[in-house]
Amino acid sequence: MEVLAGVEEFKSFITDLIDIKPRKYSEIIVPARAPDDPEGFYSLTSLRPGIEFQLECHRTADPVKVLFYLFRERVTGRDHPGGERLIAGVKACDIKGMQLLDRAMINDDFTDPAYSDWRSRTTIISSDCTTLHSTCHCNMTGGGPWSEAGFDLNLSRVGNEYLITSGSEKGEDLLGLVKDAVNCRNAGPADLEQVKAARVSLNAELEARNGRVGYADFIEGIRSMDSGGWQDASAGCVGCGACTNICPTCYCLLLNDESSEKEFIKERSYDSCQLAGYATVAGGGTPRPLMRDRFRNRYLCKLDLIKRNLQIFGCTGCGRCIEACVAGIDIRKVVTGTTGLEVPASGTGSEKTVFQGRGV
Amino acid sequence: MVNPYEVIPATIYDIVQESPMIRTLRLRPRDPVEFKTGQFIELSVPGIGEGPFTPSSSHFVSDVMDVTIMKTGFLTEYVHRTEPGEVVGLRGPFGSCYPLDKFAGRDLLILGGGCGLAPLRSLFLTLLHEVERYRSITFLVGAKSPKECIYKDETAGWRQYENVRFLRAVDEVPDGESWNEDVCLVTGLLEKIDIDPTDNPAVVCGPPVMMKFGTMDLLKIGYKPENLYLSMEKKMYCGFGQCRHCVMGEYYACKDGPVFTYDQIRNEEAIWD
Repeated sequence: MEVLAGVEEFKSFITDLIDIKPRKYSEIIVPARAPDDPEGFYSLTSLRPGIEFQLECHRTADPVKVLFYLFRERVTGRDHPGGERLIAGVKACDIKGMQLLDRAMINDDFTDPAYSDWRSRTTIISSDCTTLHSTCHCNMTGGGPWSEAGFDLNLSRVGNEYLITSGSEKGEDLLGLVKDAVNCRNAGPADLEQVKAARVSLNAELEARNGRVGYADFIEGIRSMDSGGWQDASAGCVGCGACTNICPTCYCLLLNDESSEKEFIKERSYDSCQLAGYATVAGGGTPRPLMRDRFRNRYLCKLDLIKRNLQIFGCTGCGRCIEACVAGIDIRKVVTGTTGLEVPASGTGSEKTVFQGRGV
Repeated sequence: MVNPYEVIPATIYDIVQESPMIRTLRLRPRDPVEFKTGQFIELSVPGIGEGPFTPSSSHFVSDVMDVTIMKTGFLTEYVHRTEPGEVVGLRGPFGSCYPLDKFAGRDLLILGGGCGLAPLRSLFLTLLHEVERYRSITFLVGAKSPKECIYKDETAGWRQYENVRFLRAVDEVPDGESWNEDVCLVTGLLEKIDIDPTDNPAVVCGPPVMMKFGTMDLLKIGYKPENLYLSMEKKMYCGFGQCRHCVMGEYYACKDGPVFTYDQIRNEEAIWD
């Protein structure tokens, strides 16, 4: 049963969690804008007294991946009896990113010890987007700017309140604490209607910007575009790897040997398929010698290969790669440009929309 | 669940310098490494890095392991500086193996060159362990020159089985070296054999260019794509389909390979590069 709590009361509750004794969370991470960051630029920030944060708006600049799959961390002989963490204000694109990483990292064949450790001791509060970043395009990847699963608690803005939905046992526990600390009221049909209306309205705005098309419509185009097409699409790409590092689903890794005389130690760190040496074997052979080959590989991986391996799209439409690209390359334009098709404007194109199969 | 990143220390108890660029490390792992022939392991030099190599010993032996390594890059440069008594690390085994059951009762052809002989020696020694299971085994081996031939001390023993034929060729015999076997590309040896290709299996391993032309020649003779077993070399960095360096289309060379049938991967891109 959903309940509603006042926005400011809920935020105070989160802030107060820092001081609760005994400490429930060893760390609380929230989206916050640093004083010298531009408007609308939020990054994952460890909550300390006095920090201004928000729990809605749009995605953070950095993906939550960086809190579960660290840029560099030890994967052998781990001894990490750490406490529970709370991450609040996580957006749908990041939730979907975590769902992909979960499949890749915790499955029947393999469990990444570090990832599963971080994952098991983290509580996630997601929230519906209330604003859009210029690069947002989750509507093109079979999603929308809200989450229906993959969270412990979810917040949807209704007037001056948050409608709080629990999605797990951890969420139920935390909701119990919320109810003890904050005056809550039970949600009625009108509240749920408002949530739905807000979701539909923001999604319509996304469709107006990006067109009512999905990446699924372009998979054949991506598979079949010739080398000349990729040459044009990758013009300007310097192969820096920013797009893959900032991606919420990229998880290609390097295994660094940090062994000492006493023990073998392995650390893993990020690698990028955009770097020239990525697939090069000893002796110099590589299946992707040119920048356009590596550029193409990323698109194939995101939209075709990962789907075949993990049954989920490798792109969540967060648009961080667009924001990070020094050459201004826009994945939306590259993908829609793989076919000669005109991208239909809002309301005129295919009826395949994100609402198919999704209860809003 | 076992952590596949964890390393098993292995002591080098002997080193065989097979050729100027190739040496075999004989290892005694702290815990036995049970593998199936064709699978690979990740071997690390502490503090330097690690790379994928196939054991070159029989899979019926697990308390010790031979690994034959060519000096060809950063890591192998260090491998070639190791000395007996030093400790290296092993992870694995990983990947697919040669389907011995499908070879049973057949006339098996093995085609190898250069350091591609490493997994083939493992296969061959494993086959010799139950040599009567196979109707015949034909092992064709190529090297650049007599000096580059590896496993020199063992080959005489390999010729002593009734149903085993072992043929060797070198590309050229430089002045000052002697050779009384064939001088041709390894694929040239195919002219000397008479095996019905219809339903018999063949195994190919070697440098990419040799694998490509070896495969093409076998197809030309009449071998079926589903009976051609290739040991693919890609950058198998982690060994279990996680790092994605070795992705070939929807396949991982490390997890779905390294042993593929040609039929499996014929449509994937850049398989020989």
